[in-house]
Amino acid sequence: MTKRLLALVGGAAVIAAVAMFLRPGPTSSTLQTPWGAPDLQGLWTYEVEVPLQRPARFAGRERITDEERAAIDKERAEILGRSAAVSDRRYAKGTEQDVSGAYNAAIFTTHRPLGQRTSLIVDPPDGRIPPLTPEAEKKRAEIRAFQLALLQATDVCKDGLPGCAGGKYGPPSSRRGDAPPHYLTVAVNRANGPEDRSLAERCMGAILPDFGGNTGFMLQIIQSPESIAIYYDTAQGQGWQRLIPISANPHLPAHVRQWRGNSRARWEGDTLVVDVTNFSPKTLFQGSSENLHLTERWRRVDANTIEYSVTADDSTVWTRPWTVRQEYKKQDDAQNRIYKEPRCHEGNYGMTALLSGARAEERAFAAGRGPDPATRCTAGCGGFAAGFADTGEEANPLTR
Amino acid sequence: MRRWSTGSLILVAVAAAVLGAVVALVAPRPMSAQAGADIRRTADGHPDFSGIWQAMNEAHWDLQAHEARPGMVTQPGVYPYEYARVPAAPVLALGAAGGVPPSIGVVADDGEIPYKPETAAIKRANGENWIDRDPELKCYLPGIPRAMYMPYPFQIVQGTTKIQMAFEFTNAARTIHLDKVEPPPDDTYMGHSVARWEGDTLVVEVTHFNGETWLDRAGNFHSEMAKLTERFTPLTRDAIQYEVTIDDPKTFTRPWRISMPLYRRLEPNMELMEYRCIEFVEEFLWGNLRKEQLVKRWEGETIIVDITRKVPPGDTLHDWYRR
Repeated sequence: MTKRLLALVGGAAVIAAVAMFLRPGPTSSTLQTPWGAPDLQGLWTYEVEVPLQRPARFAGRERITDEERAAIDKERAEILGRSAAVSDRRYAKGTEQDVSGAYNAAIFTTHRPLGQRTSLIVDPPDGRIPPLTPEAEKKRAEIRAFQLALLQATDVCKDGLPGCAGGKYGPPSSRRGDAPPHYLTVAVNRANGPEDRSLAERCMGAILPDFGGNTGFMLQIIQSPESIAIYYDTAQGQGWQRLIPISANPHLPAHVRQWRGNSRARWEGDTLVVDVTNFSPKTLFQGSSENLHLTERWRRVDANTIEYSVTADDSTVWTRPWTVRQEYKKQDDAQNRIYKEPRCHEGNYGMTALLSGARAEERAFAAGRGPDPATRCTAGCGGFAAGFADTGEEANPLTR
Repeated sequence: MRRWSTGSLILVAVAAAVLGAVVALVAPRPMSAQAGADIRRTADGHPDFSGIWQAMNEAHWDLQAHEARPGMVTQPGVYPYEYARVPAAPVLALGAAGGVPPSIGVVADDGEIPYKPETAAIKRANGENWIDRDPELKCYLPGIPRAMYMPYPFQIVQGTTKIQMAFEFTNAARTIHLDKVEPPPDDTYMGHSVARWEGDTLVVEVTHFNGETWLDRAGNFHSEMAKLTERFTPLTRDAIQYEVTIDDPKTFTRPWRISMPLYRRLEPNMELMEYRCIEFVEEFLWGNLRKEQLVKRWEGETIIVDITRKVPPGDTLHDWYRR
C-alpha cells in the first residue's frame, strides 16, 4: 500500500513535471517577468506579409482564403525568379538609368508568405488611410511640384519615364537655386548639399511608427519594472534604440521636439499602452510631422506572439484617426545579429561621392567639357524607380 | 490514505526546508565594499542596475591625470615654453569653453598607459590631429568603454537574461548577454558583451572590436585585438564602481585598468532624450562640398576668424573611409 502510493505520487509528480516542460502553450513563467509584469522580452518580427492598405481587388474583404494566398505566393515566386533576367535587359549599359538601377526587384519585394489579412489597417473598416486634409494635400503637392521642377530638363521627363509622372519636359527650371518649400525627407534631383538628399541617404531614415520593410525588421525588447528598451533593427544600417519609460510623468515640454517623439507607457491590465507626442517637424510619417499623436498597444497574447496596434491621429493631416494592427512572432534569442550597430553614417562615403561628383559636373560644364548639370539626374531618375516598376510592382501582386 | 497524505505533506515540508537552506547558502551575497549596503536588487537577488547613470569626471577629455589646458588644440604663444601655449584657431572662437578641464585621472595603479613605442607615437599624433581624427567629432559610434564616461547620460534596462545599455550620444546602444548567444557575424564599434555575476559584481567580457574607436579626446586608443573585462559593483543605491581592464597586446605592453564611479541621475523626471548628432555634423563632414559654402569670413563688427585647417596627409575624410 505504502509503496504503491509513493510510486503513484512519484509518478504523478514526474508526469506533472514533464508536462510543465513540454506544454507548448503559454505558461505563467514564460509570459510574466519575475516582478509580475507581462513579459515582452525577446527578438520579434512579423512572419507573414500583409499590405498596409487594402488593395482595391480585395475591397470589402478583411481576409482572403488559403487558396488565394497560395496562388498569389506562387505567382510572386515565379516573377521573382524572372526578375534577374528582367533587370538585365533594363537599360542601355552606362546610362543614368542603368547605373542607378543597381538593385533588382528581388531585394525590394517581400519574400515572406502572404498573410490572411488584406490590410494592416483595421480602422477605418475599409482598410485605407483616411483622406488627407486640404492642408496636407497642398503640402504634398508643393513637394512633388518642386521635385518635378528639378527633373524637368532631364531625360526622365523627355522620355516620359514613370519618375516624371505629373510633370513635363522643359528647359532648366528657375527653381533649381531655390530652397525646398518644406523640410525634405525625400530626395530632389540636386546635390547642392546634404539637405537635398533623402533622409535615408543621410542615414536618418528610421521613423516611428515602423511597420517593417523588405530589407529587414527585427525588434529586440528588454524590459525592467520601469522601462522598456526596444532596439529597432530596420536594416540598411539605420536601426535605432528606443526607450519607453513606464511613467505617469507628463510629456516633455511642448517646445521640445524629437525625431521619434516622446513616449510614456502604462500597463492597462496585460497591455502596455504607450502615448507618443512631441514629434519633430523634421520627421514624416504618411504626411504627418509635428502634430502626430500615436497610441500604441503592446500585448503578449501567447508564448510566441505579441499583438501590436497603433492609432495615428493628426487632425491637420487626416480627416480621422486610423489604426494599424500587426503580429510579431518570437525568434531564436541565441542568434546574434548586429542589431545594436546602425553603421550607415560611419560608412557614408556615398554622400561624399554624391556631393563631390555634383561639384565635378558643375566644373566640367563651366569649362565647356560636360553637359548642363540641370539635365543630369541623380534622384527620382526612373532608372531605379522604373527598374523597380519593371519588376517591383509586377512582382508584388498585392500592389497591382 | 489520509494518514499517508499527512505523511507526504510532512515529507514535502522537510524537503522544502532543506532546499530553502541550500538555496540560502548558494544564493549570491553582497560582496561590495559596503557589505550589506542598501542597494536595489532584482527578484532573483542580484544587484539591480536599472536606471539612468552618468560619469562625473574628466576621463572624456583625457584618461590620465593632467592640468588644465587652454584648448583641445594649441599652438605656441609669445613664450617659447610648452606650458605657455595658446588656443589654436579651430577652438579659439570658443573662448574658455574651448579649454580642457584638469583631472586627477582615472587610470588605476601607476596612472600610466603602457603603450609600445610605435603606438605611443600614434597616440601623440592622434592628439595633435584631434579635429581630423577623433571619431566623436564625426558623430561616429563611440565604442566601449568610451561611451560609458562621455558627458551624457546613459540608461541601463536590466532584463531577465539580457541587459541593455542605451547612450544619449548618437543613440548608441549595447546589449550585454547573460544568456547563451552566438558571436556576432562581424567586428563591431560597440563590442560584443557577454556577462556573468561574481557575487554582487557584474563581470562583462567585451570582444569583437573593429579598432575604429578611441578612448578619449586626447587620442588614447585601442586596436581590434582589445579584450575588455568590465566590472560593475554597486557602491550605494545611487553609485556603481565601474572598472575596466584593457588587454590589447597589439597596442600595449601589459593589461591596464581604469576605474571610476558612475552616478545615478536623481531627477524624478529624468529620461534619456535624443542627441542625434548625425545631422549636426553634416557641415563638419561635407561643408566644403556644398555648391554654396555656408561658412564665410565674417565681416563688419563681427569677428573674422581665419581658420587654417590643414588636414595632414592620410587624415582627409576620404582617407578615413579608405582605411
